[in-house]
Amino acid sequence: MNILIIGGGISGISAAKVALGEKHDVTILESTSEPGGLMARIANCRVGFKTFFDEIRGKERLTVINDAKIAKADKKDKRFTVTLNDGRTLTADRVIIATGLTPYDPVEYKGKRVLTSLEYDAVIDQRQGELPADFNRIGFFLCVGSRSKDYPLCSSVCCSYTLREVKWTLQRAKPEITVFYNDLRFFGQEFYMEKAFRDAGVRFVRANSRYFEEDDEGVTVRYYAGGQLKEERFNYAVLAIGLRPNPQLAELGRMFGFSLNPYGFVNEEAPLQTDAEGVYVSGGALEPMNIKDSILTGFGAGYIAVKGQETLATTAGRDERLYREDEPEFALTDGDGATCLFYLGTDSPYNGIFYEFVSSRFIEAARDLRKAGKSVYVLTRNMVAPSYGEIAYEEARREGVVFVHLEEDETAAFDGNQVRIARQGRELTFNADKVIRFDDYAALFKDREFLSLYRSEPQIRWSPTKWGRRKYHVGFIRHPRDKRWEEREIFGALGEILLDREEERILPEVNEERCSGCGSCKDACPHSAIEMLIKERQLAIFGPVAAAGVPIAHVKEDTCVGCGLCASTCPSDVIAFVER
Amino acid sequence: MIKEKDHEIVFKYTCYRREDFSVCVGCKICASVCSVNDLALNVNPQELLLKLFVGEKIEDDHPLVRYCTSCYRCTAACPWQIRIPEVVRAVKESLGMESRFEKAFKKSLDIWGRVYEPFVVAMTALDLLRGGYIKYMPKWMGYAGFHLPHKVKRLKPTNASKGSNPSEEGRS
Repeated sequence: MNILIIGGGISGISAAKVALGEKHDVTILESTSEPGGLMARIANCRVGFKTFFDEIRGKERLTVINDAKIAKADKKDKRFTVTLNDGRTLTADRVIIATGLTPYDPVEYKGKRVLTSLEYDAVIDQRQGELPADFNRIGFFLCVGSRSKDYPLCSSVCCSYTLREVKWTLQRAKPEITVFYNDLRFFGQEFYMEKAFRDAGVRFVRANSRYFEEDDEGVTVRYYAGGQLKEERFNYAVLAIGLRPNPQLAELGRMFGFSLNPYGFVNEEAPLQTDAEGVYVSGGALEPMNIKDSILTGFGAGYIAVKGQETLATTAGRDERLYREDEPEFALTDGDGATCLFYLGTDSPYNGIFYEFVSSRFIEAARDLRKAGKSVYVLTRNMVAPSYGEIAYEEARREGVVFVHLEEDETAAFDGNQVRIARQGRELTFNADKVIRFDDYAALFKDREFLSLYRSEPQIRWSPTKWGRRKYHVGFIRHPRDKRWEEREIFGALGEILLDREEERILPEVNEERCSGCGSCKDACPHSAIEMLIKERQLAIFGPVAAAGVPIAHVKEDTCVGCGLCASTCPSDVIAFVER
Repeated sequence: MIKEKDHEIVFKYTCYRREDFSVCVGCKICASVCSVNDLALNVNPQELLLKLFVGEKIEDDHPLVRYCTSCYRCTAACPWQIRIPEVVRAVKESLGMESRFEKAFKKSLDIWGRVYEPFVVAMTALDLLRGGYIKYMPKWMGYAGFHLPHKVKRLKPTNASKGSNPSEEGRS
């Protein structure tokens, strides 16, 4: 089967991987001179892309056509015939649209000292040589060219990307960094990174600015925070630009017969499928998403393209390696009172990963209450509503839910049904009949193994759903967020399972006779692959022999990676690697 | 506690509906570019909007209400292009802070559907006179007189050999 992939970015390559693994012919059309897309424009991700691409580069069944432009596409008997501008003709049975995202160009603000985040990336790139001499004060400004009237979606990656840029900057120099934000839309571990950077002296200000006065030495920026207008000088101001749909999608849609939604992205009829038969979609053509989600949807689209729509209904969700947990019941007891107040804020970075989940549920509940004619207030410390979540948020604002945004130094004091916001120059008091707080729901998430939290960064990129050897997390337990993602994740995980090859490992063995059950191996294991089982054992201490339950270490074969930490930790040498 | 009714008039006077203002995301970009802030008055238009939604009273000496010049810089910078000057104008109207001229102008529109100058002048003449035109007349007459031919200072004939700067002398 011929599979045509339009777009040689990370998502297209992921889809190609799955298709190649299943022994199909793959053609990748790339509009620029080499594959890479937006990911390869980020200096620190370029290497990662290369290693990812090198695994399939030069394979016999793979054709990569650079500088390609499609002139014509026809469909006959479920086969596509695609003509390129240079006259070449290709045939394909399935088409995957992976055109990716286009960064917004803020021409009205850009200058020599006011850089977009991609331009700034070139400044801090190690391969470009030394940093500029004056590199003492850097200001980052989020939400430029997104969450606005002409593009109401949130780009969902700019906050995370800014956080990485802060990291890469601090790796090379120690400038004073200030991040100006509307909402910090982080995911998973990034909340811990944020906390680490706060502790390291990076300043976060909940305000934004469009006042940039640029001269030869720097930029003067005005912003309003803490009840007064402030003016500051920065050496460089970095605008975290929004990501918009690829403008060529409209033309592709006409040629291949799929439709776009009002925001310019592909209309997703069923998960990862367009409304044209045989045309699938992945990555940034769906909605703004980060790299690991692009890989996930790429795997998913590749899987569907290979297996075909017919088998989907039977396969989806039935693989025993898929692990899902139902999300907790998010019951909001409807108050009888006329005023409701939501408090969307938490101090713990662990709870941070649930911001996205709780935000969307709070918005939903607030809109329902508002429709029932109540006055609804939402105090937000951080509202995480990425990509299409922003639309629901906007609707809520239009419908009259009042959002009060707490700044960094503001505190909200709860006293029964009274909520008091205090800050210099601002004092607000709300009397609500019902107060609903973020932390009331934190207990729902306790003691669960969330994939987005526990895996370290590089791993999560290349295997977006894998938790253990025979366990692939999907849905709520992978990343607590909107429901539209759950089925995409299932397909992504199925694609990842196809790719996964078993590696040879040696497992540690426990000498159960001698194990004292002290548990030090359990503490040492980084993958929680050791559990303490209670086993019956004959005990004879002074006198008659009796059966008693004693704890004994047990190695879970699925999760163990064979690192050997348990064997080296064991105080009585009962864990060992046995050679066979 | 919400007093939406109190501020209904504000939304009535603008051609917007309430929801067109409530899309505000609270980014405070408007405050960063506001020209009232050039006077170091510390205003935050976003807070004015919030006060409307929460139903708080807006005082008539709020600097934004007093000094807003309707320059629409905020609207140009606002991601949602909220027309804040129109809110401010409506607030002014609801507080009865319009000048006599504005009132006369609007009333004339109500009656005739156009500006009928004799009416406007008749309604505002007293105010114009009392409000400074007479009081400051000597002053602005002086300014006008500055441009009369005999008042304009002439430069002394320049002496190139002395090397003095003619313009400096002229000024002194």
